[in-house]
Amino acid sequence: MDIRVLPGDFEGPLAALGSGSFCVAVGGISVRFEGLPDGLLTAALERYGPFLSDDPPAHTVRLFEGDEHYLDMAEDKFLRLEEERLPEGRTLVSHSFAAFRPDQQPERGVLLLHSATPVDTAQGALENYLRWVVADLALDRCGFVLHAAGLVRGGRGYVFFGPSGAGKSTLTAMSVAMDPGCGILSDDLVLVTHRGSTIEVASTPFAGTLPQSDKKPGAYLLVGLYRLKQAPHNALRPVEPLAMATAMVLTCCPFVADASARRDRLMPLVESCCAAVPVQELSFLKDPGFWDIL
Amino acid sequence: MFEDGKYKRNPDVSWRTIEGQAVLIHNRNSEVIVVNEVGTLIWEQFDEGLESILRNIQDTFEVSRADAESDAREFLEQLISAGALLPR
Repeated sequence: MDIRVLPGDFEGPLAALGSGSFCVAVGGISVRFEGLPDGLLTAALERYGPFLSDDPPAHTVRLFEGDEHYLDMAEDKFLRLEEERLPEGRTLVSHSFAAFRPDQQPERGVLLLHSATPVDTAQGALENYLRWVVADLALDRCGFVLHAAGLVRGGRGYVFFGPSGAGKSTLTAMSVAMDPGCGILSDDLVLVTHRGSTIEVASTPFAGTLPQSDKKPGAYLLVGLYRLKQAPHNALRPVEPLAMATAMVLTCCPFVADASARRDRLMPLVESCCAAVPVQELSFLKDPGFWDIL
Repeated sequence: MFEDGKYKRNPDVSWRTIEGQAVLIHNRNSEVIVVNEVGTLIWEQFDEGLESILRNIQDTFEVSRADAESDAREFLEQLISAGALLPR
């Protein structure tokens, strides 16, 4: 049976899980995790290696002892992740963890995790919390997370998005094989941010198919935004009108449920990004020759 | 079947008009719809009622009443099917 959590469940006294801490940066947004037990800290440091940061955190979340489970597992074993908007703040709940971010103190959060939770599962809790808080912190900074592959060539950023199977991972692998100087931002999720009159794309530490060590942390000027389409030849076609381009990009912005307030903030950001960096459809024959037409 | 006054815009649909075209996104299923200029007028002015919408379509796009009503009703049924409109 699902356990519904309320803000009172995140108030003291709560039992500490540990005393470890680390800070991870996503495109200049630093999030600090505190109260980690030793095993989870070791695993997190290894997982987020290139993205560890000493910068002052924009958000700090503290871990405490929680219940063994909160939401029942889905019948198909697919991850259940449910966000709820309460008068006092937001909760994010899954099978193994529950988290709360109060409106009164948005720079702080609480994550409840049972001490017997396996390290792999606990890492998943940290990852989901990080994705959740970064989505909102990015919006606060005129940015958004995008399900896409990101590459850097000549110091400039290129983003390739599309449905599963469109070729993002293949394109990434081929590009790096063709040009060792080509840097990978991610093969799964990138952070796109407005910086004055320009748009930047940054690497993210979120788990994809690539090891973290293959990624190139940092933010780069975004010069190309491409929707992938598999085809028997390489070709480029502008996506018009702007409404269609915006809609295409919006379909690749990941969200948790009940995100209407977030979407209302997201839509103008995506629109202005697509206006500044026009979206093009890249018909893509799986060979690296497509770089010649970008 | 659409009946004037019996439906409301789904509060779970976020939307924005971009260069005269409305982009609707359903916050529960993430479905995105791009609507043409006529549909954008209908969506934006939905709360004003069907009669007002039809007059504005006729005036803006210089079409007959019959064509305006036929197109509007077809579009409104599509919005219902997509979950963008809900019964009051």
